Amino acid sequence: MTLLKISNLQLSMKSYEGETPILHGIDLTIKRGEVWGMVGETGSGKSLTGLSISRLIPTPPGRYLAGSIEFQGIDVLKATDREMRALRGRHLGMIFQDPTTNLNPAFRIGTQLVDVALHAGHADPSVLGLSPGASRRQFKDAARQTAIDMLGKVGIPNASERINDYPHQFSGGMRQRVLIAMAMIGKPDLLIADEPTTALDVSVQAQVLRLIHELVAERNIGVLLITHNLGVVAQICTHVAVMYCGRILEAGAVHDVLKRPSHSYTRALLDSVPTVHTKRGELRGLGDLQPEALA
Amino acid sequence: MSLDIRNVTKVFPGPRRGFFAKSEGFTALDDVSLTVKKGASFGLVGESGSGKTTLTRCILRLENLTSGSILFDGADIHRLPPQEMRRLRSRLQIVFQDPYASLDPRMTIHDIVAEPLVIHSDSVNMTARQRTERVVELLLQVGLRSEHLFRYPHEFSGGQRQRIGIARALAVGPELLILDEPTSALDVSVQAEVLNLLHRLQTELGLTYFFISHDLGVIRYICDEVAVIYRGKLVEQGQVAEIFDFPKSEYTRMLLDAMPDPDPDRSPFRRAG
Repeated sequence: MTLLKISNLQLSMKSYEGETPILHGIDLTIKRGEVWGMVGETGSGKSLTGLSISRLIPTPPGRYLAGSIEFQGIDVLKATDREMRALRGRHLGMIFQDPTTNLNPAFRIGTQLVDVALHAGHADPSVLGLSPGASRRQFKDAARQTAIDMLGKVGIPNASERINDYPHQFSGGMRQRVLIAMAMIGKPDLLIADEPTTALDVSVQAQVLRLIHELVAERNIGVLLITHNLGVVAQICTHVAVMYCGRILEAGAVHDVLKRPSHSYTRALLDSVPTVHTKRGELRGLGDLQPEALA
Repeated sequence: MSLDIRNVTKVFPGPRRGFFAKSEGFTALDDVSLTVKKGASFGLVGESGSGKTTLTRCILRLENLTSGSILFDGADIHRLPPQEMRRLRSRLQIVFQDPYASLDPRMTIHDIVAEPLVIHSDSVNMTARQRTERVVELLLQVGLRSEHLFRYPHEFSGGQRQRIGIARALAVGPELLILDEPTSALDVSVQAEVLNLLHRLQTELGLTYFFISHDLGVIRYICDEVAVIYRGKLVEQGQVAEIFDFPKSEYTRMLLDAMPDPDPDRSPFRRAG
């Protein structure tokens, strides 16, 4: 079942120097149960693609020149703000890269999680296990319980007490897990994870990847994982799209793309990762690959 | 050149519990001993909070030791008088992790790279013109061009900035280069280029590297010897090939297993499912 269909998405950004095209026609389809990896270097437009899906790019400075993003039958780019609010947090979950800037240091973890749970609950009371006519009190209690359950589920021990802590009392890995809990509270159908493990140690990264993997298996959701780490893609993704300068150069099943890359850029990217067998001085990098030749 | 770290312990004072209560310290480094050989690359691997950066700060004497000693060519760094320490600093230089934060945005590339030459002018002794010539030579050495001389850091990409950081570290002709996660802020393709540059510079200039990273792939690629640090204690050290192929400690094995391999067939999740 198709969850998300991006077709010919073109985005440009305005600045003092004029308008710069950023995305040159992105096509991507995500079905339930698929984990799509989106890889590319800094500035390739992978984060902006992710943000476009939940329409978090302010317009202006952004401007969509053409294309559409269809999510569960709704054209995201044409939806009203009200419709978007109902989607975000409920049907569309987002995890951002940096857990320190995306949690408010002045509020308890619990307050921030309950906020999200209440928002999702008002859009659809069944998320909290309530009927539409439930009282305000019931909503509050159910939201708190959901927050605690979700925190426990992402592997934070003693969740019912930790929920009263502030973000600074959590380590980096735990904060990232709080963000994942926050994204999962609304039981979304599509999870967009923008570099969820970049700021983490490898051992914590392995835990977070396991968590996402389990969520997909359990709830049959779709995931768009934005990363620059090909190792992460190889570990949990079923499909991968390679981005360069606002274009998808190559997309397909992870085995096909990583084992038999058809594009020279993908091959160069794979050759840049030092592995067990790479001898010193043999690492390739992009070398003399010309950006113009790629586009 | 040789660097000998002997039984180094560093305790940071902890928060005071009561007005008269003694504070409980935090032990950042616990009895760390290692030797870096001349001309080799020594890698230090550990997760965040393991004490890697504290150790580099101790080597540079930016931090005082609680006990132990650090010998550079037989001289105890932490007992040198300030004047001799100054002279010694020109022989050990550092490249920082974040190429965006470690260059002053208000200085030109020329001034950034020439700054160590000015600071160490008593031992380097160059005229302004000689300094400029030296800066140009350094920029060429790290793969930049002389027309970059009077530009500002914001005009450069991450990889180019890290090259500038390397040029600055090389300016005074050091023997030991401390590299504190020099590629962790860079894209893989740019990382590959910077690693190759470091490798080339080492063979050309006979440098000794003390390379800190949490990326085991990078350590394996660039280093001869490696030490694994966990919560301030050295867990394991030895030749790179040996440690990576036959890890003795549980912790090293865990780290190696957690390292994501770009081969989809080696994924632990796929094996399970």
